Amino acid sequence: MAVGPRVLEAAGSPGAGRLAWLRGWWEREEVFGYGLVLPALALLVSLVAFPFGMAIYFSLSDYWVGSPGEFVGLDNYRAILGNEVFRQTVFNSFVFTAIALSFKIVLGVWLALLLARDFRFKRLIRGAVLLPFVIPTALSTLGWWWMFDSLYSVVNWTAIRIGLINPPGPNWLGQAAYAMAAVITVNVWRGLPFFAITTLAGLVAIPREFYEAAEVDGASAWARFWNVTLPLLKPVLAVVILFSTIFTFADFNIVYVLTRGGPVNTTHLFATLAYQVGLNGGNLGQGAAIALFLFPLLGAVVFFQLRFIRKE
Amino acid sequence: MDQSAPRSIARRRFLRAAAGTTAGMASWLALGKAPAVAQKRELTFLSWNHFVPAADDELRKQAEAFSKQANCTVRVDTMAHLQMPAKVAAEAQSQSGHDMFRTASSDCFLFENQLANVDDVVAKLGKQYGGWYPFAAEAHQAKSGWKGVPWFWISFPATYNMAHFKKAGFETPPKTWDELLKMGKVLKKQGNPVGIAISHCSDAHSTYWSVAWCHGAKVIEADGKTPAIASDKTAQVIEWYKELYKDAMEPEVLSWDDASNNRFMLSGKGSWIHNPVSPYNAALANKQPIADDINHHGSPAGPAGTHSAPPILGLGIWKFSKNQQLAKEFIQFLMKKENYDAWIVAGNAFNHPPLKHLADHPIWAKNPKFAMLPKEAEFAHPRGWPAKPNEAVQRIDNNYIMADMVAKAVNGMPTKRAMDWGQEQVALALKGQLKAG
Repeated sequence: MAVGPRVLEAAGSPGAGRLAWLRGWWEREEVFGYGLVLPALALLVSLVAFPFGMAIYFSLSDYWVGSPGEFVGLDNYRAILGNEVFRQTVFNSFVFTAIALSFKIVLGVWLALLLARDFRFKRLIRGAVLLPFVIPTALSTLGWWWMFDSLYSVVNWTAIRIGLINPPGPNWLGQAAYAMAAVITVNVWRGLPFFAITTLAGLVAIPREFYEAAEVDGASAWARFWNVTLPLLKPVLAVVILFSTIFTFADFNIVYVLTRGGPVNTTHLFATLAYQVGLNGGNLGQGAAIALFLFPLLGAVVFFQLRFIRKE
Repeated sequence: MDQSAPRSIARRRFLRAAAGTTAGMASWLALGKAPAVAQKRELTFLSWNHFVPAADDELRKQAEAFSKQANCTVRVDTMAHLQMPAKVAAEAQSQSGHDMFRTASSDCFLFENQLANVDDVVAKLGKQYGGWYPFAAEAHQAKSGWKGVPWFWISFPATYNMAHFKKAGFETPPKTWDELLKMGKVLKKQGNPVGIAISHCSDAHSTYWSVAWCHGAKVIEADGKTPAIASDKTAQVIEWYKELYKDAMEPEVLSWDDASNNRFMLSGKGSWIHNPVSPYNAALANKQPIADDINHHGSPAGPAGTHSAPPILGLGIWKFSKNQQLAKEFIQFLMKKENYDAWIVAGNAFNHPPLKHLADHPIWAKNPKFAMLPKEAEFAHPRGWPAKPNEAVQRIDNNYIMADMVAKAVNGMPTKRAMDWGQEQVALALKGQLKAG
């Protein structure tokens, strides 16, 4: 499109006058600007806004797979609130997110501090730390699934050999608390690099002078961390925590591969339960309602976080 | 400040224009057809990853043969069986995808309005091969006609390790579920527990339906509309599960998938599982010495007789498919005696024909470890029995309601509360169906 008119003009084509007008029109700021935004807008509308609108429509109707139903208002929301499995899922989601996030914050900052130091093969190791984040989740989680296998768990095998536990060891994916521990472990393992690397970027940006001034004042390492590093990291941390909360709440792959929500729904999260009810169970209306429950929750998180960041 | 007015007008104009463009594009996409390039007809078939992989190889070979004969191409896609319900639902919802797929359990009822009638094919094949087994027929015959051609069923016997039983002093395997409990206690002490999955996998429900029926318990009443879990009979079933879990099994059964019990047997640890013959076939294929120790016996009985819920699979054709006639021809090709026989051999007795005359194949009689398998047809029922299969049954299975109920109970929830929970969940699964009809 951009080349066309000019080439034709040079060739002295009979349509040159109209093309010149078209070119002039195209180069007007308001036309050209919108033209640039249009592809992104089309993508957003077709891949985000349209599915979102459909989900709202599904959640308000008695829609089963392949058979549209009538409008039922908030019936689906009432129904899922009355279902014990859903209440369990809400509880699971909060436990999962709270614990996983705490670990990621503490370990992430710690890892970032370690990576900020000077050591041999620094670049290589900084790159390697990103691996869990880079490997496709479904694939790496399959590896974990095998490590937690009831019969051939290497985790148990190793722990028994070292003498940490008595045989046969915990049944990782079959008992509620262990299964939750397992999915949290994998989530932390996967999410940690994102936390550490982003925090590292924040750390590197802190001017050295602050530390020098603190040292002159005789501040200990802990005091330097508490009074210099942490306050200056806050804006970066706030953004990372915001993203991580969203990712963690909306996790699907890890739970689906490891436990499919079991045992007895004790590791179901919103996304996995919505999949189970909406697609496997065929109740698209309720499935959509479950998935949309995340929206106000995350909306609130985003609102408070952004307000906090702005205040800072 | 003075620029704000034109800018906001421009913004409004822009939004209007953008909305128009998007709507136009959407309608173009909706109406748009694939470019009309001259091409060979292509039939697409979505099936599962067979538990005996050689059976899929044979299926692909036959698809190839058919495509030569019918001058078309046949594409067979296979996927993990537990992911099929979601995939099939997505195809029904988007009205696009494969031409035909492997139906399971009550799919023919769940997708009654989406599946093409295959009455003609069923009538022809039934006449040709001595009629259909009633349980296989029931699972495919909806009110509006046959919605699938029964393809095969999978006998669900017990698989046991003869050496472990002998060591524990048992010459013969258990004939009833109660005997299994008694023997299981001894076997667990010996270090060879028994195993029944209590988790989100299809084996868990295949066994539950069987155990429940053998105890006279039901999940739905015969009217197909009333939940029937809450009963003394179900309480007995749950108590039996609790005892078996505590004294004869290990907690790992709570995390099992459909392949776990096979591994449990093949590792040499397990002494007894309720499962099709796949572990034995795998041991034979991999030349594992444990194949000699593994044997099968008929599914155990209970106070209310012997009943079994073997998986029943069929072939369904989507109404949206443009190749319905071709699909019907392909189905008849697969069910032809010489082709079906070859497929039975490739699956090493795993696939049972739903047609009586095809069931005469010598493979079962020849191997004493398979001899009892075809007998199961006499006491098999489709899921949901004594109700006719219906869409709610499929939802009950897909949501693993009974597996969860039992899991709650063995994890310490009082039997009555677990049962009430199951009753409530079954009622929810039935609700959508009550609205529909």
